[in-house]
Amino acid sequence: MAEPQYTVASDSETTGEEKSSSSFPEIAIGIDIGTSQCSVAVWNGSQVELLKNTRNQKLMRSYVTFKDENPSSGVSNQVSNELEILTGAAIFNMKRLIGRVDTDPVVLASKNLPFLVQTLNIGARPFIAALVNNIWRSTTPVEVLAIYLVELRSMAELQLKQTIRNVVLTIPVSFSRFQLSRIERVCAMAGLHVLRLMPEPTAVALLYAQQQQQLVHDNMGSGSEKNALIFNMGAGYCDIAVSATGGGVSLIKALAGAPIGGEDLIQNMMQHLVPNLENQSLIHGANEIRSMALLRVATQDAIHRLSFQTSVQVDVDLGNGLRICKVVYQEEFEKVNQKIFEKCESLITQCLRDSKVNIEDLSDVIIVGGCSFIPKIRNLVKEICKAKDLYQGMNPLEAAVCGAALEGAVASGISDPFGNLDLLTIQNTPLGIGISADGNKFAAIIPRNTTMPARRESLFTTTRDDQTEALIVVYEGEGSKVEENHLLGYFKVVGIPSAPKGVPEIDVCMDIDASNVLRVFAGVRMTGNDHPVAPFMEVRMPTVDDGHGWCAEALHRAYGSALDVTTIHK
Amino acid sequence: MAAFTSSFVSTHILGSNASDNLPPSRVSFRRPISISAACAPAAERAKTHIASRPRSFYDILGIQTGATCEQIKTAYRRLARVLHPDVATSAQNENPARDFIRVHEAYQTLSDPEKRADYDRSLFRRARPMRSPFVTSATLSRRWETDQCW
Repeated sequence: MAEPQYTVASDSETTGEEKSSSSFPEIAIGIDIGTSQCSVAVWNGSQVELLKNTRNQKLMRSYVTFKDENPSSGVSNQVSNELEILTGAAIFNMKRLIGRVDTDPVVLASKNLPFLVQTLNIGARPFIAALVNNIWRSTTPVEVLAIYLVELRSMAELQLKQTIRNVVLTIPVSFSRFQLSRIERVCAMAGLHVLRLMPEPTAVALLYAQQQQQLVHDNMGSGSEKNALIFNMGAGYCDIAVSATGGGVSLIKALAGAPIGGEDLIQNMMQHLVPNLENQSLIHGANEIRSMALLRVATQDAIHRLSFQTSVQVDVDLGNGLRICKVVYQEEFEKVNQKIFEKCESLITQCLRDSKVNIEDLSDVIIVGGCSFIPKIRNLVKEICKAKDLYQGMNPLEAAVCGAALEGAVASGISDPFGNLDLLTIQNTPLGIGISADGNKFAAIIPRNTTMPARRESLFTTTRDDQTEALIVVYEGEGSKVEENHLLGYFKVVGIPSAPKGVPEIDVCMDIDASNVLRVFAGVRMTGNDHPVAPFMEVRMPTVDDGHGWCAEALHRAYGSALDVTTIHK
Repeated sequence: MAAFTSSFVSTHILGSNASDNLPPSRVSFRRPISISAACAPAAERAKTHIASRPRSFYDILGIQTGATCEQIKTAYRRLARVLHPDVATSAQNENPARDFIRVHEAYQTLSDPEKRADYDRSLFRRARPMRSPFVTSATLSRRWETDQCW
C-alpha cells in the first residue's frame, strides 16, 4: 500500500501562531475549492494572479481519482474527457458532502452520483467509496479534499518557488461551524494553516472594494460609500451578501446562503429526462455508474447550452435498452427548476431585508459563479434588485479566488506602494448562535448578521428549586426550535447555590474573534452580589465530532429537563 | 444597545470596563498610505486619551453631535482601519477586538436614524447639566414629553 500523500497533523498544531523569521512577510495564497472547480490565486507584488496547472488551466475540475496506487486529482490529471473521469474511481462534489450526516437532504440527493454514497439514515457519516478494480474503496470527503489540496499546494509551490503554509479559503455562507472545522482539518492534513475562511460573496465584495478604490485613485470614482449586492451561485451553493464599500473598507451588512446550486439543476433535469430515475440510479456496480455518468454529462451539456440557446436536443444511450432522445426547451428547464429559482429569490429578499439597505440605494449588483450564465438567474436577480444592468468589472468564475488572494496578501501584512492593498473586510456572522432554553427553544445570544469580532451575553436562570447544575447546550442556526439547528457543543455549569428557581443568575457570554473563533463563557452569581460563586467555564466551540446528531438525543434521554435553563427577560 | 452594562462575565474574565483603554477620541490623519504607517500615531493617541468617564458614541467616533451620516460613516471607516484586529497588532493595542466592538457599537447606533434619535434623547437627558456647545437646535427641540414617558 502506498504512503498517504497527506500527513495527519493535529488541528491545534496548525492553529498556533507561527511567525516567519525572514523580514519579508510570508504570503498567503487564496484558494477557492468549488464543488465543481477549484482555483488558486496569489498577490504577485502588483496584482492578483491566478496560477495555472501543467495543462494551462486556471480552473481545475474538483475530483480525485483512486485508480492507481497513488490517488491523483483534477490538478495534475491528464484526462480531459468527462466520461473517462466518471468511471466510478473519481470522487467529486465533496464540498457538498463534507461535514454532513446521512440524514441530510443534501446527502440523500447525492445517491445517484457515479460512485458510492451509502446512507443508513441514522445521523452518522455517510459511507462513500470509489470503484477501483471492481472493489469499493472507502474514503471520506475530508480525505478527498486533503489529497486535492496537497496537489494544489505543490503546484503553487513549484510555480512560486517558495514554501506555502498560509491560505485563505473561500467557503459557503451556509456552512455550519462543524463543517468549517472539517475544512480546517482538511488544511491541517495538507500541511496548510488557515489564515481566514472567507464566505464566498465577501471575497467578491473585497475585490469590488479594491476595484472601487482604484477608481478613486484614478480620479474616476466618487469615493463615497457604495452599497452592492453580490449573488454567487456555483455548483453546490447559492450565497448572497450586501456590502457597504468605501475607502477600501468592505463592511458586510448581511449574508444569506443555502446549499442549492448547479448540482440541483442537474439532478432535477436528470429526473425530468428519466422519470423513474430512482429505480435506475441505485448504484450497484460499473453498469449503473456508466449510465449515470452518461446521463449526467448529457444533462450538464444541455444545461450549459440552454444558457445561450432556447432549445437543445438531448440524445444519449444509457445502455440496458434505455435511450433518451428529447428536445428540451429553456422554459421547460425553468419550470423543472422552479423551486430552486424561488429559493434564490427568497434568499435575495431575506439578505436585503437583513441588510436594511433599500433597493434604490444599491449602487451595483454583482452576479458571479457558474450559474451566473443562466438567463433565468440573471433576470431574477435584476428584477428583485430593480437593476437595469449587472456589474461588468469581474470575471464571474475568478472573482471569489481573486478576493481570497487579496485577503491573503492583506492578512499576511503585505503592503503595496500604490495603495492597492489598503483594504479591510469587516465580516459578520452568517448564522445565529445561542443555547437551548425555555424548553427546547433556541435562545440566540449572537444573532445572525452580527459584525465580527463580537461579544454578546444573556442571562439565564434555573427552572427548578434547588437546582445546582445547569446544562448549557450551544446551537447554531436560524430555527426557533433547537432541533432545527446545528449542535455545536454542551457543558455543565455546576456549583449553583441552593435557591428557589429563578433566583441564581447564569450569565452566558459568547465571543467571536476576528478569525471567527467562537468561545462560550458561563458563570453563576446570586442576585445582588457581583462576585461569581464558582469558577467560570470557558469552552471553545464546536466541541462535538461525528455523530453529533445523536448527542442532543442522548443528553435528552439522560437528563430530560432536569438541568434546563430559562431566559431572564430584563 | 449597551452591550457592556449587565456583563459580569465580561467584566470578570475579559476585564472590560466602560472607561478603560478606549479608542482614540479623534483620529485626524489623512488617508493612510499604508495601514502600518497610520497605526502608530493613532495608537499613541489611544494611550494618551484614556478618558476617566464613560464617553458618548460621538466621542468614541471622534465626531460632533451634529455630524452628518456621511461624516459618521467616514469616521467609522477611519477608525476601523486602525482598530480592527486584522490591522491592529498586539504591540499597539492590547485588546483590539474590544476597541473595535465599541467603535462598531457606536457606529451601529449613530448610523441608524431611529436608533440615533433615541440615543440622542438619552444623551441629552444624561448630559444636561454640562451641555455640549455642539448640540444643535434640532436636538433641543425634540418632542420628548411624549417619547420619554415610560
